[in-house]
Amino acid sequence: MWRYLARRAGQAIPTAIGVVLITFVLFHVVGGSPAASVLGQNADARSLAEFDAARGYDKPLFFGNWAPTRALESVDFKAASPAVRARWHAGETGPLRLEDGEALTLPLAFDLPADERWRLTVIGRGPGFPSEESVAGSAAKHAASDFSTVWKKVFHSVENPEFRASGGWAEISGVKLEKKTRHFFDSQLTDYFRRVLRLDFGTSTSLNQPVIRLLLAGIGPSLALTVPILLIELGVSLTLALLCAYRRGAWLDRSLVAICVALMSVNYLVWIVVGQFVLAYKWGWFPVWGFESVRHLLLPVLIGVATGLGVNIRFYRTILLEEMNKEYVRTAFAKGLSAKKVLFKHVLKNAMGPVITNVALALPFLYTGSLLLESFFGIPGLGYLSLNAIYSADVDVVRAVVLVGALLFIAANILADVALAWVNPRVKLT
Amino acid sequence: MGEPPGEADMSARVNEWNPAVEAGAMEGLSFWRETGQRLWASRIARACLAVLAIFFLVALAAELAHDWYAWRDVTPPWQAQNLSARYMPPGPGHWLGTDGLGRDVALRLAQGARIAFHVGVVSSLIAIPIGVLLGCLGGYFGGWVDDLVVWLTTVFAAIPGLLFVLAIAMVVGKGLLGVFLAIGLTTWVSTCRLIRAEVLKQRERGYVRAAQALGFSSGRILFRHILPNVIHVALVSFTLRFPAAIGTEVFLSFLGIGAQNQPSWGTMIAAARLRLWQGMWWELAAVTVAIFAVVLAFNLLGDQLRDALDPRLRTAAVT
Repeated sequence: MWRYLARRAGQAIPTAIGVVLITFVLFHVVGGSPAASVLGQNADARSLAEFDAARGYDKPLFFGNWAPTRALESVDFKAASPAVRARWHAGETGPLRLEDGEALTLPLAFDLPADERWRLTVIGRGPGFPSEESVAGSAAKHAASDFSTVWKKVFHSVENPEFRASGGWAEISGVKLEKKTRHFFDSQLTDYFRRVLRLDFGTSTSLNQPVIRLLLAGIGPSLALTVPILLIELGVSLTLALLCAYRRGAWLDRSLVAICVALMSVNYLVWIVVGQFVLAYKWGWFPVWGFESVRHLLLPVLIGVATGLGVNIRFYRTILLEEMNKEYVRTAFAKGLSAKKVLFKHVLKNAMGPVITNVALALPFLYTGSLLLESFFGIPGLGYLSLNAIYSADVDVVRAVVLVGALLFIAANILADVALAWVNPRVKLT
Repeated sequence: MGEPPGEADMSARVNEWNPAVEAGAMEGLSFWRETGQRLWASRIARACLAVLAIFFLVALAAELAHDWYAWRDVTPPWQAQNLSARYMPPGPGHWLGTDGLGRDVALRLAQGARIAFHVGVVSSLIAIPIGVLLGCLGGYFGGWVDDLVVWLTTVFAAIPGLLFVLAIAMVVGKGLLGVFLAIGLTTWVSTCRLIRAEVLKQRERGYVRAAQALGFSSGRILFRHILPNVIHVALVSFTLRFPAAIGTEVFLSFLGIGAQNQPSWGTMIAAARLRLWQGMWWELAAVTVAIFAVVLAFNLLGDQLRDALDPRLRTAAVT
């Protein structure tokens, strides 16, 4: 038993790593730093850089010794916009030209902190340009005649960030400023993995609280909503599915199936909007909004059950029908057992496998709560939290909910397998 | 538990006998024709196809109207505000009434159909090729390729669907592009699993063995011989994904991260929801009925199509 559990957990590790990787790709590689959307359009570069540093967005994505910085955006005069050219005093077209003795003024957004190591890469040419290393051919084939000769690339250590042409003119085609990382693998990826292992999900930018505390606070209300939904739905849909399977092909079965398909086709939003309006507001059967007493939960639970009923009845009916076609059922009927006995004693027990799997795989969704039900009815659970986080671009919260939801799903899968083996002695635990 | 009657599908059996015949040739046509006839024989399927034809024509007309007004560069009538005609109940001038800014609900509904159609088609064009390609490769080659495909599907399936969709839409940004990508990149998993299982079965068939013995390349066997025999899986999955995609689009647009500045069914529900409390029921009713009809037609058609394609289910189907 324990060995089986350990083996299944071992098999789940690649999946868990995959989930962490996917969230990393989504939020770090594609999404990038949320600094601009959190701090607003008018935030200055220094506060953006501080935000990045606090959350590790100033590191390279995967690995590297040098990372880009917000103090100076890399510039390439071959493809720079007029606004960028103006900032560098680079004239209308062509490379930036420095006369003998003239210094390059870097349009730094803020003074570079002295406790970091910086590297300035300058690509240029001309007698005034220091000749150490040449970038052979990199720009040589470029069509514009201005950029057609061989360019050299120099690294300028930046104690005072200055680049001066000495001994003649110099032309500069590109400038890049980078910050030294602590070591080669000090990257966002390793940082992210380390944080996940320590269960450190970051800090919410909109609520200024550790995400883990928000998750723990939200889980109670979410469970208060989703556990009743799951249990009631399971009871009702399994009962109705048994009824369908028992009266298979009769008008009861057929009309129930038709109702199921119709229920499935009503939009989820409509259920909530109309349910809240008619049952709570118009008829006053339930409170409209709030999370104060059990009475406040009745309507959301009712709507939650209604929305899932169609799919579930159909699913359980298919499973039961498959079971009803088996030979042992025919035998049981043939030896004169009552339909009730066959259905509840034989069929239901044997159909328990898929039912358990279905329920176990629904367990993680207990945790993520119901996005819409919670926000419509003002239940301060995780669904409400996630939706607000998405509105306010609170990346840490969204990432944490997605990640934890996925990891719970993997755990539920293992749980389902173990439970399956537990109810079905034919499954061997090896 | 009896053996299922006959082989899983007709063209595969024919190809097994004539390995030299390319799949999808003469016999393949008759397979599709037979499926079509079986489908057409069902009254429900015919009704569904009629509903979907209307949906398609409305979406097409709305697309043409949209392009026409965009080309002329004038404000289209479904955006033009007419504050003297606000909250008009359904009547002769406006069949489905007007909304809070005096815009005709029927015209906005047609534009919503256009967006729903876009979302269904584009997200399928993202998801189905990914699913079919990965499923084919994993099922046919096995080994580490299959391990990789299975790993990818397991990882994607583990992430909670709606949250994943929302997260992608959030990262990509507001607008329909985010909706397309979010739905497309999260829903390829089921198609991939179905195709992979089907390819695994086909791989052992005689016609594949024969093609291998003749020295055909893997690509040719996979995409010219096996693919036509498994592509019906993608068709069924298309009819099932379409209503789900519409539902997700409505959800995203309702939340304000889907369609921007154009009437979608989701934004219409969002607006109508507030007016419902003031007694303006027609906008919400119109959208509800439209979504219901389209989604129901797709759901039923998907069931019918599955029955028509699968001879094993044909006998068990209760109609």
